[in-house]
Amino acid sequence: MSFLEVKNLRKRFGDIEVLKGIDFSLKKGEVLSIIGSSGGGKTTLLRCLNFLETANEGEIIIGDKTVFCANGTEKPTVSLEAQLSFGLVFQQFNLFPQYSVIDNLMLAPKLRAKSQKGKIDQKTLDAIREQAEQLLATVGLTEKANAYPCQLSGGQQQRVAIARALMLSPDILCFDEPTSALDPELTGEVLRVIKSLKDSERTMIIVTHEMEFARNVSDRVIFIADGLIEEEGTPEEIFLHPKKEKTKLFLSGGHSEI
Amino acid sequence: MELFLEVCSKLANGFITSFLLFALTLIFALPLGLLMSFCTMSKKPYLRVPMKLIVWVLRGTPLMLQIFAIFYLPGLLDLFIWPQINTGWLWLDTTFTTRFIAALVAFVINYAAYFSEIYRGGIESISKGQYEAGQVLGLTKRQVFFKIVLLQVVKRIIPPMSNEIITLIKDTSLANTIAVYELIYQAKEFMTVEGLIWPLFLAGGFYLLFVGLLTIIFGKIEKKLDYFKA
Repeated sequence: MSFLEVKNLRKRFGDIEVLKGIDFSLKKGEVLSIIGSSGGGKTTLLRCLNFLETANEGEIIIGDKTVFCANGTEKPTVSLEAQLSFGLVFQQFNLFPQYSVIDNLMLAPKLRAKSQKGKIDQKTLDAIREQAEQLLATVGLTEKANAYPCQLSGGQQQRVAIARALMLSPDILCFDEPTSALDPELTGEVLRVIKSLKDSERTMIIVTHEMEFARNVSDRVIFIADGLIEEEGTPEEIFLHPKKEKTKLFLSGGHSEI
Repeated sequence: MELFLEVCSKLANGFITSFLLFALTLIFALPLGLLMSFCTMSKKPYLRVPMKLIVWVLRGTPLMLQIFAIFYLPGLLDLFIWPQINTGWLWLDTTFTTRFIAALVAFVINYAAYFSEIYRGGIESISKGQYEAGQVLGLTKRQVFFKIVLLQVVKRIIPPMSNEIITLIKDTSLANTIAVYELIYQAKEFMTVEGLIWPLFLAGGFYLLFVGLLTIIFGKIEKKLDYFKA
């Protein structure tokens, strides 16, 4: 049974239709890679899933709950719960520069606890800190807990951003070209961390240009072109035996990303 | 020597008034400017358009004129618009307090207009990614602004803000035009009554010292916010 279901997602910017009806579903714990040329709609799809853009039409269903439903007329509202079902790691990290690494992780859970209970007690605070320290260990940055983002390399910043996104335990963790802003020698550390996060409970969606990585880490791959899913399948099917001409052309470098 | 001490004590009195005008203007204009910047950035035209007009007028006319307007207008309105309840030239020959308040109001709205544009520049310079990162972490718009954006804005606007604030302490001398006994007013009295010009220069020294102090304070604040890059 599918855990995430996306039905007929459409998004227009003015007269330009960027997503022309996207349908896909994922099982719990699956890793989905989304590949395709720049301007094809990959990032827009991810932004719609994270409600940074509001899709004009379509449905997003998690488990048996419809968290988003738009019919093209009125603007749908997004609940906090729906928002927190998704976590997002940005291409540009977007850490909060004035907070130390550990505070970047703790800020959102602290504010959430505060708004739920009115004020935050020591026990809750300790629990949040412990979780943050655990996640920093997961991404291998325990010794940087008190550093500020400007003191970290791009790769380290992105690992902090991943830990921060995990703090609220989202059902689905999304990555928007997580290594595109990094020097080639720094991409490896980030990709290793993402790979290590793969387990049966964690569903992930990764928009990436790292084909080798997509092939190694994902359970399923979607190739998007011109706002539509052109081809969908296992990494073997897409990378070794692509059926569509567009996919073949893209993978052979005919649509090279410069 | 006795004269020098007398001059100093008078000038010090004047400086206290100047400083009060300065400090109270900051206390009211800093938050008011932020509110005004929210209006000028608002998507709602009924907030944005009038506020842009107000900022245009406040920045587009001399501060001295605004001081006169605020000081005299209530009296004029009293005289011409509501003569039936005419209570005389309400503001004209009243106490020091009302003159001080008139000057203060003029300074507050004028400086709030300038501050609002500095805030706007600062707020608009923060990358969209900061707001989006806050949103995906489930923060409310208010939390994003106060917990994430504001301190970054403060860091960025300190240089233009300190410029404006240094201008403010010197602009307080304009209050002497409606006989608020500030520093320049006191120094001018020595000139007109006793024919002494040096107290005016001594008054300049007061401003210079105070601006020196402000420069040190702003330098310290900048240094304090040096720990992060925004």
